[in-house]
Amino acid sequence: MFSKSTVIIIGLIVLAAVSVTVISVSGKRGHSSCGFGAAIFFVAPFQDGATRSVRFVRDIWNHYFSLVSAAKTTDDLRKQLSHSVEKVNRCNEIELSNFRLRNLLNFSDNTNERVLAAQVIAKDASPWFMSVIVDKGMAEGVARGMPVVIPKGIAGLVTDISQHYSKVMLIIDRNSGVDALVQRTRARGIVKGKSDGCFFQYVLRKHDIIEGDTIVSSGLDGIFPKGIRVGRVSDVSRSNSDIFQEVIVTPYVDFEKLEEVLVILDLPGHPRTYDTFVGEQ
Amino acid sequence: MIYCFHGLVCLSLITFQTGIMPSFLLGDVPYDFLVPLILYVGIYRPVREGVVVALVTGFVMDNLSAGPFGVYGAAYIWMFVASKWMTTFLQMRRNRFLLSFAVALGVLLENLIFLGAFAVSGAGFGIPGDAVRVVGGQTLWGMGTGVFLILLINYAHEKWDGWFRARLSKES
Repeated sequence: MFSKSTVIIIGLIVLAAVSVTVISVSGKRGHSSCGFGAAIFFVAPFQDGATRSVRFVRDIWNHYFSLVSAAKTTDDLRKQLSHSVEKVNRCNEIELSNFRLRNLLNFSDNTNERVLAAQVIAKDASPWFMSVIVDKGMAEGVARGMPVVIPKGIAGLVTDISQHYSKVMLIIDRNSGVDALVQRTRARGIVKGKSDGCFFQYVLRKHDIIEGDTIVSSGLDGIFPKGIRVGRVSDVSRSNSDIFQEVIVTPYVDFEKLEEVLVILDLPGHPRTYDTFVGEQ
Repeated sequence: MIYCFHGLVCLSLITFQTGIMPSFLLGDVPYDFLVPLILYVGIYRPVREGVVVALVTGFVMDNLSAGPFGVYGAAYIWMFVASKWMTTFLQMRRNRFLLSFAVALGVLLENLIFLGAFAVSGAGFGIPGDAVRVVGGQTLWGMGTGVFLILLINYAHEKWDGWFRARLSKES
């Protein structure tokens, strides 16, 4: 009835229409996943294993092999010195991780919310989308929509879960939005991600904002607790024709070095029903 | 068995680019290492097998990424269709230059679909300012190294096939 080329052309048109529709619908509704965490469930254990192995090997390399190879070429005194250096290095590492964990502990002590520490095991492969996979999931009490923070500030939001792993969309992702305030003047706006930082949107021109101002969460979005630091204003520009000002925010969190995070399990005054994983009891 | 092979390759590449590379703090992944896999199935494998690999890989990546659902799936399917179409008039299997060129085009196509998704979904602020630099860098990386990944997958597949056939003939 139809020639082969006609069928191919119709197929390509249908494929194009389906692609645009699916991307458009899921993008506008904010869906970044489908399949009830099945992909994370299967892939994340391998990512977890690979990350742990790499960290283990890296630690051995940093703290042992380099010193052993040095020790082979030195006399006894140098050997002793090497051992001392190794010890100092190890102490420094322990001190640093101690400081980091104490920070986490202090932070969790100072907050009213129930929090859960989690480790980052994988990062998004594309530079256009910003998410990480953490090693805590439904079994540990994590649910979709829970805020993720570190002592320095807000990190992101849980967008997908499996039994023992979760996907966290970072605040620098373009689909992310945090209702926020300027700490000094209480001017309100929305912090939107832009891959390498954030914009502070919908802030009226009349509001006084200067470089260096701290942006904190307003708590009005019902997701992030009020008063958690988001970032520092790094640039402000006001055009005469616009009713809003353009504010660029540099997040306090260094997303390149994100290793441990805290998932806030419940927010007092914000009782919410979280989505559940299929098969959850 | 061939799907087990593709599954293993896919899992290894995903683990490498999302788990291992970030652990070494090497900065951004140079480009999506799954592009050479999709091009491999497009150029060397039959249609039915390639469609399954492209769809499953796209589904997994869509679920692991923060991008709008379907964006990886669409990118991989279009990449597969383009590579199949190119094989109808170009002898790509043995020409390394053409394979390099195909990877560069694949990376470019993927990035164009991602940037198009920003426009279609209304996320963010249109095309990012550093888009040309990022896309250009990824395309060059893909052009320089992607061909080796395709040849490596092809080599591994031949070994896998040989091993599997040897086992079958031993059993029979």
